[in-house]
Amino acid sequence: MSTTVIAPLLVALCTAILTLLTRPNLRLLQGVSLLGAVAYLGAVAALFDRVVGGETLVYQVGDWAAPFGITLVGDALAAFMLGLAAIVSVGVLAHAVLYVDDFGQRLSFHPLYHFMMVGVSGSFLTGDIFNLFVWFEVMLMSSYVLVLFYGGKQHTRAALNYVVLNLLGSAVMLVAIGGIYATTGTLNMADLARRLADPAAYDVNVLPVLGLAAVLFSVFALKAGLVPFQFWVPAAYRAAPAPVTAMLAGVVKKVGVYAVVRLYFTIFAAASLPRALSLPGLAGDSALDFFGPVLFLMAAASVLFGGVGAVGRDDLDSVLAYSSISQVGFIVLPLAVAATVPSVRILGVTACLVYAFNHGLAKSLLFLVAGTVRESVGSTDFADLGGVAGRSPVLSAAFFVGALSLVGVPPLSGFFGKFLVFDVAARAFATGAAGAAATLAVALLGAVLTIAYYTRAWNAAFWGEPSERVEEFLGDDGSVVPDGGQSTAEAALSLGGMVVVLVAFAVAVVAFGIGFDVLYGAAEAAARAAVDTGGYVDAVAPAEVVE
Amino acid sequence: MTQFVLATVLGLLFALGTFLVLRRDVVRVVWGVTIVSQSANVYLVTMGGLEGLAPVGHGHGGGGTAVSDPLVQALVLTAIVIGFGTSALALVLTYRVYQEHGTIDVYELGGDQ
Repeated sequence: MSTTVIAPLLVALCTAILTLLTRPNLRLLQGVSLLGAVAYLGAVAALFDRVVGGETLVYQVGDWAAPFGITLVGDALAAFMLGLAAIVSVGVLAHAVLYVDDFGQRLSFHPLYHFMMVGVSGSFLTGDIFNLFVWFEVMLMSSYVLVLFYGGKQHTRAALNYVVLNLLGSAVMLVAIGGIYATTGTLNMADLARRLADPAAYDVNVLPVLGLAAVLFSVFALKAGLVPFQFWVPAAYRAAPAPVTAMLAGVVKKVGVYAVVRLYFTIFAAASLPRALSLPGLAGDSALDFFGPVLFLMAAASVLFGGVGAVGRDDLDSVLAYSSISQVGFIVLPLAVAATVPSVRILGVTACLVYAFNHGLAKSLLFLVAGTVRESVGSTDFADLGGVAGRSPVLSAAFFVGALSLVGVPPLSGFFGKFLVFDVAARAFATGAAGAAATLAVALLGAVLTIAYYTRAWNAAFWGEPSERVEEFLGDDGSVVPDGGQSTAEAALSLGGMVVVLVAFAVAVVAFGIGFDVLYGAAEAAARAAVDTGGYVDAVAPAEVVE
Repeated sequence: MTQFVLATVLGLLFALGTFLVLRRDVVRVVWGVTIVSQSANVYLVTMGGLEGLAPVGHGHGGGGTAVSDPLVQALVLTAIVIGFGTSALALVLTYRVYQEHGTIDVYELGGDQ
């Protein structure tokens, strides 16, 4: 039993409640909210410090032994994902305090934001599949309202899509979980892995579990926005306030990716398929061999669909939204290789996590830049923009760093993410694995598309002569001309603050690239924890159930 | 026998829910989503097995000496509470969509920039 495991959850929950209580005083509310985000980072750092060496901390809720109670598990994988969430969250919140209007902040922004963090932390920490469903719902409930935050025409329509899709996803998830419970007799992940590893002893039929796991997979793919479940992404990302979009793309999407790594690489990997099963593309007899081709097809389709979509968009927000579909494809691509080729499994999961971390940082930065541009110029359409770099060089430099990181230019953190993806694919190719050549081709094409759409966005929005609109709203010296309401000094101060946050993000992108050793060490420890089914089961040590 | 009846009812409920989700009217879509999530709950209850004694209160119910599984019922209670919240949100959202767009026809919503 270790309370370090639940510390991030408790900090986020307490902050959410405190921000509800301090609503009358806006300054106090903002202070509490920011302090909460920093405390969350501290709690995550404490957990990370304990588990990075490979230890797995377990917290049994209410002291009910697994598998009877709910188990929370803090291992290197969970700590890595929490670290990503905590780092991005501090920056995004600092930006949001300046970006979201005072009325919105006073009304509901901060409690919703922290409740979303509660859901995210719970999803990373839980060791029980039904509990995972509950944390997903906590996270989604807040995100519904945050997507709907402005409540205008475009926002209600996007939110309607988002809500209906995710409600259907929740129902499907419930069906899959119920089915898994009926076939295996347990909801505890460790117990599930133990039963799947020895189906005869526990009287478990593996084939239905495989099918139900596939149903569950579609829900995680929906959360991660993988093709063919990507259609909600652009509208929802355009509708939400920029800091919320940054969180949705940077952190909430990664919850879907995490769930795939945790459930399929740690838990369902324990199952071996019956020899008689013959499916197209099925090479081996591990459950992962079944999911490898599925992951590959979805990842490849996402990389290409998102990339081609982003090249053709005419506003900054849409380019970034399509880009994030493409980048999630890049995150999942090494997972597909890792699932099919056991010799590169740890490296593949490491590549996925490093890429996810880099995408979380860089894409949040880019969405915040887009939000800041919208705040100061009033539009993100390429037709209205142009020459922002001449008027606001620091803001543009932040965008440049983020875009270069996602393109994969050394020494930024994105370079190593892309490098590892290619490394994994090349190593798989060297072992002669089927489909490795296709993986390489997709990664290469995706990388070229990334260069194309970021170059286009840079040229259209930031480079060249200032457009009329930019000239009107941004002064020669980078000062902002207010659009009524705010005084010039206030607007300039708020814009200056946002730019400081963006610079901090850009510095982090550079710093994680230069100090990549630390990031790689953490990601590799997380990947080792992810594929170590035995260690996970031993740490949770579920009791034997007497039938 | 009960299994077959329930399986049929569940199939019909899922079919009805899916049918409603595919309608043009947003209110029907919300109804469809609600029906699908409620049928998932019914499905969950059936997953715990239908026979056995009540887990509390000295041997109510019939069909054998074993106690029926209380866990699925706890799960369904959780899911119902969550479903209640989301349905309320979806209905309020529908009203807001009507306020903003003056229509709840999804085809018209799609064309209304």
